[in-house]
Amino acid sequence: MSRLRTGRFALGVTVVAVPLLLALLGPVFAGGPGPRATSFTLGGGHWLGTDFVGRDVWRQVLHGGRPVVLTALAATALAYLVALPVGLVSALTRHRRLEDLLMRPLDVLLAVPSLLLILLAATVFEPDAVGLALLVALAQVPDAARLVRAAAAEAAARPAVEALRMQGETWWRIAVGYVGRSMLRTLAADAGTRLTGVLYLVATAAFLGVGVAPDAADWAVMVDRNRTGLFVQPWAVVVPAVLIVALTTGTNLLFDAALDKGGRRTGKEARP
Amino acid sequence: MNHEHTVAEIRDLRVRVDGRLIVDGVNLRVPPGRVTALIGASGSGKTTTGLALLGEYPAGAEVTGEVRVEGGGPVGYVPQHPAAALNPARRVSALLTDIARARVRHLPVRRRRLAARERVLEAMSEAQLPSAAELLRRYPHQLSGGQQQRVVLAQALLLGARVVVADEPTTGQDALTKSRIVEQLTAVRARGIAVVLLSHDLDVVRALADEVVVLRAGRVVESGPAQRLLLAPQHAWTRELLSVEPELPLAEAPTTEQPVLRIRALTARHRDGSRAATVVLRTPELDLFPGQSLAVVGRSGSGKTTLARCVAGLHRDHDGEVLLDGAPLPRSLRDRDRGQLAAVQYVFQDAHAAFDEHRPVVHQVARTAVRLRGTDEDTALREALTTLAGLGLPEELARRHPGRLSGGELQRAALARALLARPRVLVCDEITSGLDPVTRRGILDVLTGLVRGRDGLSLVLITHDLDTASLAHRIAVLDAGELVEQGPAPQILTTPAHPVTASLVARTRAGGTTA
Amino acid sequence: MSGPRSFVARRLLLGVAQTVAVVLLVFALTEALPGDAAVALAGDQPDPARIAAIREAMKLDRPAWERLADWTAGLLHGDLGTSLVSGRPVSLYLADAFGPTLLLASLTVLLLVPAGFGLGVLAARHAGRPVDRLISSVTLAVYAVPEFALGVLLVTVFALRLGWLPPTAVGYGTDLAAHPAALVLPVLVLLSRPVCSLVRLVRAGMIDALASPYVAQARRYGVSGARIRYTHALPNALAPAAQQLARTVDWLLCGVVVVEALFVIPGLGTVLLGAVAERDVPVVQGLAVVFGVVTVVLNLGADLVAHRLAPRAGVAA
Repeated sequence: MSRLRTGRFALGVTVVAVPLLLALLGPVFAGGPGPRATSFTLGGGHWLGTDFVGRDVWRQVLHGGRPVVLTALAATALAYLVALPVGLVSALTRHRRLEDLLMRPLDVLLAVPSLLLILLAATVFEPDAVGLALLVALAQVPDAARLVRAAAAEAAARPAVEALRMQGETWWRIAVGYVGRSMLRTLAADAGTRLTGVLYLVATAAFLGVGVAPDAADWAVMVDRNRTGLFVQPWAVVVPAVLIVALTTGTNLLFDAALDKGGRRTGKEARP
Repeated sequence: MNHEHTVAEIRDLRVRVDGRLIVDGVNLRVPPGRVTALIGASGSGKTTTGLALLGEYPAGAEVTGEVRVEGGGPVGYVPQHPAAALNPARRVSALLTDIARARVRHLPVRRRRLAARERVLEAMSEAQLPSAAELLRRYPHQLSGGQQQRVVLAQALLLGARVVVADEPTTGQDALTKSRIVEQLTAVRARGIAVVLLSHDLDVVRALADEVVVLRAGRVVESGPAQRLLLAPQHAWTRELLSVEPELPLAEAPTTEQPVLRIRALTARHRDGSRAATVVLRTPELDLFPGQSLAVVGRSGSGKTTLARCVAGLHRDHDGEVLLDGAPLPRSLRDRDRGQLAAVQYVFQDAHAAFDEHRPVVHQVARTAVRLRGTDEDTALREALTTLAGLGLPEELARRHPGRLSGGELQRAALARALLARPRVLVCDEITSGLDPVTRRGILDVLTGLVRGRDGLSLVLITHDLDTASLAHRIAVLDAGELVEQGPAPQILTTPAHPVTASLVARTRAGGTTA
Repeated sequence: MSGPRSFVARRLLLGVAQTVAVVLLVFALTEALPGDAAVALAGDQPDPARIAAIREAMKLDRPAWERLADWTAGLLHGDLGTSLVSGRPVSLYLADAFGPTLLLASLTVLLLVPAGFGLGVLAARHAGRPVDRLISSVTLAVYAVPEFALGVLLVTVFALRLGWLPPTAVGYGTDLAAHPAALVLPVLVLLSRPVCSLVRLVRAGMIDALASPYVAQARRYGVSGARIRYTHALPNALAPAAQQLARTVDWLLCGVVVVEALFVIPGLGTVLLGAVAERDVPVVQGLAVVFGVVTVVLNLGADLVAHRLAPRAGVAA
């Protein structure tokens, strides 16, 4: 079991390493922009050919990962920045009103599909990368807050919390030292799936032209803009598409392997 | 005995898991129409031996020896929690027909359905399940605990099992439920079926067993007819196992002083969502004197835990007063000051759930002294270690994480955690239920020692078990949220005034323990 | 515990609140426009006549609450407003584009359920063996992949290299049903994420149920393997799966927009994207309300079904 897990972990690392390294270090090695050539050519000093406006595809690839990765990381962090305090407070407060005030609006927001929310906002604001990160974070908050609240409420309902209160421990020590500590595993697991989901949303929004300039160096934009030349110059589409697939798949595999304890979850046993 | 007919037999069974022998050379003969009880403390190998009759072993076990069941026939199994053995997504009819179907294979296809139905109805009436047709349509969660138990029995009867293994069928149940289970198993025995009872509940063993096998660390220490073995045990371990009751009673308690804790006109409610609250407890008046112990007895759902939680400040939703030395205690823990918190301490039923699994036990125990008495960390740690050692938990164990201690050990640690506050009142909520008799006696000894040894410590014992209650000076009886009777323990036990108390006492007597 | 009826009532109430919220949120869109909405919407061609036309069409000179009242009243009658760009009623846009989207969505759901349950049961049946490992890894990997990336790669392989299928639906108009070949790749792409998540849930639920004490009891009592799998274990995996089907609605919507863009299918997603690009606010609003309400209703339905299916443990009083 544990050898299998190590194997899956290694697979995840391998798959995610290429796009991640390209995204983070690519811009360092990209060098200056060369002269523009004809659109959609192969060869001619361009290793992966040229794109729809005659730029070097390899150079675009080197530059195009960073916005996807950074926007996704920022959006995930932002979502938790809001969801953690909201979820924790609403789980631990004894004022039902406060809990309702915090959670009900989120329940309602949960009904709006994430991409619809992003497209609606895009109609009005023409967001940039920061705006996109904010929007994606906003779309994630309801679900993340609910998860945090459920995990915290579960931990807070244990007799251990009452025992701590019996000992006169402070609210903070109970909330952070015990409830927070008990939630870590659940949160780590959620962070993994959430990051994958955010990567998906950020890339999809960029593909649909939200949050990016039409000629931006961005893997998702490259896939979109170079599609017209797919028959002439497939590399300009296939390379960034494969990198996005590797990035999302690798992240998912990595988190799944990292968080798998090796044992199976036990079944939900009926309690007497 | 050797020439008697047996329906199942185990010969020289050895079960080894991870190099450790769990069962070490057990021999067992199961005669028909008799109840064979396997008794022993937790970890004695009785469950592994019992499950061997079903052909089931722990994962990764190495097994040697021979298990033979007459005709290779099916063996029934009555688990500790019947709800766990009933598929929550299937109706009772499906649960029973599944088993009946296999028994009608010999019939022509078109007659099978009807025959299966007949067998199901027959088994249900034999298991004393009334209004069969209506019951068949229900899902397990729509049945009462007793009905679930009877459906599990009906399954075993449908199977045509000659042997039924009952695994701790009464653990954690109140006296009424216990006696019902005893009745049912007696009925099974009367049908000539052999019952193998795995239990550490000596009441049930006394009431049911024809043969008793005493196990310790995977070996049979002693076996023989129940009468002989229970009355005149040969082996020292058997005597220890059977001598559950510590010597009664506690020293006479002084009652001349003012009560330390007074409960006046207490009415507690439970709220469900936003709906109206339901009253779950009414206690007009209850006093606790210094140096005294008070047992609060009642069936499950009688409100006894709610009473304890009101006293401890864990159940806010109540009216009336809880007075400590004449001064009212705030309803919620959050509003109690350090002195008030320290004065009333609470020990939880589930010791594992009441500790933080990420920190060593001794550090958690020491926090009481730091928070409630303002001692510094070092002093608190030393004090914790001393208290833990005094309760039978050496330093090596105390420095472990909770997950690496047994239930009994953790319950001692929980007591130490509460005692470090130097409480005036210690509330113990069913702290021995679910422990095996030897461990339970250890904890009860600790408790009696506490009341005797500490100046003025008063104890509130919440329990469903009159044997445990008989250790206390006074007993209060709750039924359906009402305080029906209270008085000195000997009086309650010998001349109960209220019918509920009388029936509790009678059932305990029938169990044969309060000798 | 509150009974099932009160759960249904509370869930219905939440559904109503969500519908209202969607309507309000969508309406708030015009209010959120920075500065003069009409000027902002006129965009690249800010000639006074166009600005005046927009102001007139959207009745921007009237107070917001009056417009909200008008707009909601219109919604109730099926009047979704008029496009700023073409002057056509939004409901006509909807009617034109509805067919292809419905076809895509229903084909996907139709294939989703058998594929999800079939593969999930198959994996659970062979838990730990190569078949399970293969299904588990592939679903885990594909689950995370954005549709557009998967889509272009499939097009590259099946349309470009192998030439088996058309790369887009260009030239087929709205009558896609007559050209099944053009539907294969879009439906495949649309299926990818929901199928993966459904398979994983069914597998996990089955494995949990197969390891439960009640299945152990059924085995002990000689109930056959197939019967245990399909009548004992599978029903217990249904409730989480039904819940997941509801979440899938959200993904299907995302997927439909992307897939229609990728394969140039003239459905609702394409209309929505076009309107977003042209800042045709009434069209965006109309479509958003339709999408939003459909999501709310489907989620509601799935929650109620899941609640009905959820096996309950415990004891009756």
